[in-house]
Amino acid sequence: MDAHEELVLRLAEKRSKKLGLSKNGYAELVLAVRKDPEKFVDDEHEEAFLCVAKALDRYEESQRGDEMLGDDEFMAERARRLAKLASDCTAALAKDPTCEDARLLLEIAKDDEPDALLDRLINLGHDIEREGVGYASEGRPEAIDAWDDVFSRPYLRVQDAIARTCLETARYGLACSTGQRLLAISASDVLGARHTCALALARLEDEAGFDKLDAMHGRHGDSWSHLARVILLFKLDRMSAARRALKGFDSLCEGGMYALLRPVLVEPYAPDRPQCSPYSFKEAVLAVHEADPIVVDTPDLPAWAEAQPGMLESAQAFAQKSGFDW
Amino acid sequence: MAFNPDREDYDRMVVRFMEDLRDRNVDDLDIEQEVASFGRRYAQERDSLPQTDVERAFHLVATATSIIDYELPFADDDTADQLVKQASNLLDEALALDPNCFDARRMKAAATAPTFEAHYVLLKQACDATCDACLAEAKTAVKEMGGEIGNLVARIALRPAVRLLATLASKAVICGHNREAIKWYKRALELDPLDEGDIRFTAAIAYSKLEDEEGLEQLARDSRALGVGRPHDEDDAWVLISRMAIAYKQRDLTAARTVLKHIIKVYPNAALTLIAMHELPDGVFARLYVEPFSEDELIMAVSECTVLFQEGVDREGHGSLGAWAIRCARELDPSAADFYTRGSGRRND
Repeated sequence: MDAHEELVLRLAEKRSKKLGLSKNGYAELVLAVRKDPEKFVDDEHEEAFLCVAKALDRYEESQRGDEMLGDDEFMAERARRLAKLASDCTAALAKDPTCEDARLLLEIAKDDEPDALLDRLINLGHDIEREGVGYASEGRPEAIDAWDDVFSRPYLRVQDAIARTCLETARYGLACSTGQRLLAISASDVLGARHTCALALARLEDEAGFDKLDAMHGRHGDSWSHLARVILLFKLDRMSAARRALKGFDSLCEGGMYALLRPVLVEPYAPDRPQCSPYSFKEAVLAVHEADPIVVDTPDLPAWAEAQPGMLESAQAFAQKSGFDW
Repeated sequence: MAFNPDREDYDRMVVRFMEDLRDRNVDDLDIEQEVASFGRRYAQERDSLPQTDVERAFHLVATATSIIDYELPFADDDTADQLVKQASNLLDEALALDPNCFDARRMKAAATAPTFEAHYVLLKQACDATCDACLAEAKTAVKEMGGEIGNLVARIALRPAVRLLATLASKAVICGHNREAIKWYKRALELDPLDEGDIRFTAAIAYSKLEDEEGLEQLARDSRALGVGRPHDEDDAWVLISRMAIAYKQRDLTAARTVLKHIIKVYPNAALTLIAMHELPDGVFARLYVEPFSEDELIMAVSECTVLFQEGVDREGHGSLGAWAIRCARELDPSAADFYTRGSGRRND
């Protein structure tokens, strides 16, 4: 989440509405706000949003140097970091109790069982719908991509978190329907609901659904869709096709095989999926992390992948090139 | 009923005995005497009964089964090695007597396959040849013997293929090939239309894994006319757990809890079984023979449904549904929860 840029857009949107600016005028205003956003903060909602943006900066900053810590130190540091995030969000909510992102982050920072988190996220989604902010407000034209309305974005983030938490708690049908609903209201899919859908459809062995989703996104592909295709074909016991899909995953996703064979701990998304370049190693790591409950349910998939010609070598070569242990 | 190897051994010997009487043109009075002595001879002087290497091989399979499936799970480490060796020798001997002893071959593969997937592939490779051979034998029996005896021999002849398909379905679910598992179930029904092998239990899990509620409910309806020797006025534990899992996955916790309550009502000591959630080794010959709707049946169903319970992230390691079911069972039957906590000296919530 680029909270600072979103703050700029929120502030510009509000100010522009107040002043009744033209398109050109709005563009000028955006530039002015971007230079010094805090100067334009003039209500409690944006004050709270600014708090969230700063909290996210601190949260991200505190993750630097994690790799230097031992296991116990890391866990202690992690607990401290999440507690700080929670207290920052509570401070934001003191300014504006309706701040959706602060509420979302506060739930995530509690860091408890995904099942309990899911309940709270769904309740939060309902609360926001009742409050009627942004997308959930009445009279919004259907044709507009909900993402284009900056005040709808928090609601979309909540729904995206719900879809991902459904996947974590093995509710694949629900993960998929939540993801599909997000895609229906925001075709640009900046949050990547399609990734959750792809993994859920693979787990449900729904080839027709997976193909439809892939076609809907121009078959552009990414780490999630390539990995999901491997899982889907493996589960359908179409091993030649699964092998070809695995080769595709390996050749297109940087370090994909390494990520699959050496999965790492990934911190909870706060609040949404971290940005990463297409087909980058970081993307592969996230895809493997999100697919973990599904891969565990297909217990021999990693060993099968490792045994395919050239795959182990590819993972090892990536480890060596990147200075990772094997 | 699941396949009972001792019962099948007996049936095979009866069939051979009847064939022998027929071949020898024994007159009616002698037949009566011989039949009257069969039970005693089977129990005490088995070697005095007519038998070929096929029956001898199956008897060894039955003996190996009682070792692997019924003794081994309760053995300590030292005895376990001995038992495994003993059973393996019996299976080798069975194969030396009858190279077409498909059960022995399948059971050997279970012990040697390094992974679930490798085991599944081995079974798949053996499938067509086993089914064809068993089917040919069954057809010959019906054609040459006819009547009730012909049908019985045919059913016995098909069982090794049905057991192979049952193992395939079960391994498919474990490997995550759920649609394949349903295919194996449907193929088994072609050979075993009454589903004597209870493969529909595995199919229920597969439908639940696919969150295919319609498929599961159709299976539950079909189940009322399937299976041998079980009452059909209640859904079995596999259908019930699968239904509970789908409701849970849909976040219909009221419906999931209603099913759980029903399980507790239908099965004795069900809350304790759900709280303990033991994982047992699968029967290598076939699903273990237990009384329908007994405590043991639920223990076995819960163990097979591990793939449903343990899915999803739960920090205690019970899986999402598993953690919820344990919690729910504890709430619904606090005395079972107490008993479990005292008995095992630990808590699993």
